[in-house]
Amino acid sequence: MSEITLINFLNGLCYGMLLFIISVGLTVIFGVMGVLNFAHGSFYMVGAYLALTIIEKTHNFWLALVLAPTLVGFLGAITEVLFLRLLYERDVSFQLLLTFGLLLILDDGVKLVWGAGYHSVDAPKLLAGTVNIFGTSYPVYSLFVAAAGPVVALVLWLFFTKSTYGKTIRAAAMDREMADALGVNVKAVYTAVFFLGSFLAGMAGVLAAPLRAIGPSMGDKIIIAAFIVVVVGGLGSFPGAFLGAVILGLVEAFGVQFAPKIQMALPYMLLAVILLVRPRGLLGREG
Amino acid sequence: MRKALAALLLVSLFVFPFFSEMFVLLFATEILIFSIFALSFNLLFGCTGLLSFGHAAFFGIGGYTAVLLAYHTHMGFIPILLLSAVAAFFSACIIGFFCVRRDEIYFAMLTLGFGMMVFTVVHQWRSLTGGSDGLSGFSLPELSLLFAKVSISPPKTFYFLTLFFFLATLLFLKRLLDSPFGLIIRSIRENPERSAFIGVNVSFYRWVSFVIAGTLAGVAGVLFVFYDRMASPSMVHWTMSARPVLMSILGGARSFLGPVIGAVVFYILEYIVTQFTENWMIFLGCILVPIVIFFPDGILGSLEKWIAKRRGRK
Amino acid sequence: MRKVVSVLMALLFMSTIAFAGKDTIKIGSIYIFSGFAATYGQFAKQGILLAVDEINKSGGILGKKLEVYFEDSHAKPDKALRAIRKLVFEKKVDFLVGFDSSGVAKSVVSYIKELKIPTIITHAATPDVTGKQCNKYVFRISVNINQNVMAAAKIAAKTKAVRWTTIGPDYAFGHQSWEYFQKYLKQLNPKAQFMKTVAFPKVGTEDYTPYITSIMAANPDGVFISLWSGDLINFVKQARKMGFFDKGYTILMSLGAATEVLYALKDQMPTGIWVGTRYWFLANNSPVNKHFVEAYKKKYGVYPSYNAQNAYAAVYALKYAIEKAQSTDKEKVIKALEGLAFEAPAGKIYIRPEDHQAILNVTWGKTAYDPHYPIRILKPMVIFKGDEVTPPVSATGCKME
Repeated sequence: MSEITLINFLNGLCYGMLLFIISVGLTVIFGVMGVLNFAHGSFYMVGAYLALTIIEKTHNFWLALVLAPTLVGFLGAITEVLFLRLLYERDVSFQLLLTFGLLLILDDGVKLVWGAGYHSVDAPKLLAGTVNIFGTSYPVYSLFVAAAGPVVALVLWLFFTKSTYGKTIRAAAMDREMADALGVNVKAVYTAVFFLGSFLAGMAGVLAAPLRAIGPSMGDKIIIAAFIVVVVGGLGSFPGAFLGAVILGLVEAFGVQFAPKIQMALPYMLLAVILLVRPRGLLGREG
Repeated sequence: MRKALAALLLVSLFVFPFFSEMFVLLFATEILIFSIFALSFNLLFGCTGLLSFGHAAFFGIGGYTAVLLAYHTHMGFIPILLLSAVAAFFSACIIGFFCVRRDEIYFAMLTLGFGMMVFTVVHQWRSLTGGSDGLSGFSLPELSLLFAKVSISPPKTFYFLTLFFFLATLLFLKRLLDSPFGLIIRSIRENPERSAFIGVNVSFYRWVSFVIAGTLAGVAGVLFVFYDRMASPSMVHWTMSARPVLMSILGGARSFLGPVIGAVVFYILEYIVTQFTENWMIFLGCILVPIVIFFPDGILGSLEKWIAKRRGRK
Repeated sequence: MRKVVSVLMALLFMSTIAFAGKDTIKIGSIYIFSGFAATYGQFAKQGILLAVDEINKSGGILGKKLEVYFEDSHAKPDKALRAIRKLVFEKKVDFLVGFDSSGVAKSVVSYIKELKIPTIITHAATPDVTGKQCNKYVFRISVNINQNVMAAAKIAAKTKAVRWTTIGPDYAFGHQSWEYFQKYLKQLNPKAQFMKTVAFPKVGTEDYTPYITSIMAANPDGVFISLWSGDLINFVKQARKMGFFDKGYTILMSLGAATEVLYALKDQMPTGIWVGTRYWFLANNSPVNKHFVEAYKKKYGVYPSYNAQNAYAAVYALKYAIEKAQSTDKEKVIKALEGLAFEAPAGKIYIRPEDHQAILNVTWGKTAYDPHYPIRILKPMVIFKGDEVTPPVSATGCKME
């Protein structure tokens, strides 16, 4: 493997894992509740901005990594209780529109709090600097993000397959009425799921903060990428989100090298091809 | 009563340019253009039940075709408009063909995806589209009316031109919705499964609706680029697709004139709000959320219901 | 008889005064106030307000006070067009000042001609607006791509670098900067090679890693960077992490010496790389500059950037032109602006009547640490005379009507 291929591969993995953590939140919410959250990218953005403030105040990245996603999770839970809950009986278009309204509020809201300019934060001391891989120096922090993806995947998998809570959520996702009849508090499950999904978006935001620029439109950009990931992988599919994110991350990284002219269009071409060949996504199930 | 009101409105649309400030005239022209755009979108959303997040693709394709023709040829306004509408028509045929196979969320995502694909083409094909800088500095085409050639650059002329297309769109859509076609697409909106069951080719009718909507959006795009004197990639971005969505929801997607009312309210609100704050989007979001939750019929729809209720009581 | 005539003359004179009796001069000002270059708009606004304050305190222009309205272009041509319509038709401004993005400037100049509003561009650098797209109403008071890049090529020709590549924003400015850099460097150093691997990331790109990787993989000798503002800040931060600055490339950043960028980066800006600017606050010792830097620092707490100076100078250019014309009549002000020469903080500025482009000194320098300043400064500093780096009118493609 040449040096450039290796670096591109690592870049792709790093971005892909970031995408995975965002998309898995999106897909969990969709899988359980059937809601496609347009404001999911904005939750990611709020996570990054909260990380900015926490790191500026305390100089502690790890505190931000715990605190910011939790706050974003609560923001999501509140959203579910106050607004979305009123719309479950209605057409899905209205849920999409409601979350679009939230996107507008959050995107402009961060400008009120943090200003309209761009910000950035430094990687934590422990992960600053570069490491030598086969004679190529590469930022440690990017490797950390690339490793965070599989860890999150593992924790989520254990949660959903081994814990009672996880099993309850899966039950509610499969058959709402049956779960309700069996004594599951479906309302509470929905709120919890929204908390979890938003938590993941916020966590991706914190992880992205030292990597990328923090700005008011960062949510808009990432939500489209996350949509593509979940559609390519299969809406509601957990492994699909992982696969989709890796593919999109690599396409992005190698696109700049091999097809700079059409690099921007590649994700959409991927989307179109997948939907033509396999309309339900790579790992999605129909229905 | 209703007819009198409509007549009064119509007359004032024709008369007011002779008394108004230039600024108001330009403002009104922009509202009319976006009304056409929103009406075309609502044929899909309010009438066929398909929420598109990529409608700006056709707005942009119409607009870019018009600018390219104005740039490289000496055609008049009408031929440019027709050719641009044809371009929007064909692209709507192709994109629609793939999109109408799915509905609800999938349709929204597909249109979003295809819309952004058009955006990236516009954004990356620098040699043709000017890339992110867009295309500007072309000379406006002339409008041939019988024997005379008219310049469309004076704001008043352009206003009346836009008004003509606005009224033509209204008339056309009214006819269309009253026809059997209109009944079929509305039955598809209410219940696609049942419609399919009674023998309606659901995806075919959706496709036709998609193509008509796309073509009309292309016409709006042509008017917009000549109004703005440029075509820019923001015309094709998904945030532009969101505009007719917001307008239709605001005004009322189930009412015929809902998108128009939505466009008017959208622009007036934007104007008022931006007088004292840059953060107009947060304001818009704060209006959108309660409308979606409590007034899903929008301003006009809720008003119509309220009037019907009061009449019922009497 | 003579008496009657003189009375009539006096009446006529008074009536013209009464007619022109609008007691303010309105300036519409369009900059980027949000997004990747929000600080640029802020500095420009500060520069304008400083000039307006000074002028109004000393009695205005021809006894009229200045009034300014600001609008955000969002760095998007369509938003800028809306802003122009709002300023011209609603606020009824007499003059326009501003424009940061070349893409915006290219798109609005023909509309400005249609509206007949005298406009001074203070930042956007595309050669076209005083070149093939030039028109009677559009002036530029700042260094353009031609001038900045000609100076860059002169510096580049003296280095050992042979194989050159670029990283620039994906719009008019990035593409034209590279085009002119190649043209001029080829003339000065026929041995120079220009690589196929170039990078034009979109404005507002959040992650530059793939672009940095592809440039590093191509292994160039020299890299010409035309990213600016927030894009440049992000790029530098991410490039540091990738070890981009440790590879021994010859690096030229055409807008690296913007104080907005230097303040944001502080000691993260590497030392020893070539950076260009449209004005450098330490480049000259004239009383005008001293006064400007001191007043600006006192009022806003930071050293002025080129965007602040250009905006400040544009307001003064209008003042001098109106005083020269003894009128605020647009056509007369245009005549007065053509060939205007005046002393700005940046030094002597001469507005060439044939294409409306300002001729002024162009500063480049190498970034260096200095304990007296919170930001990187230029050491050594290289100053090019305006005539040395400005192509003749015949080469600009401008045909003024």
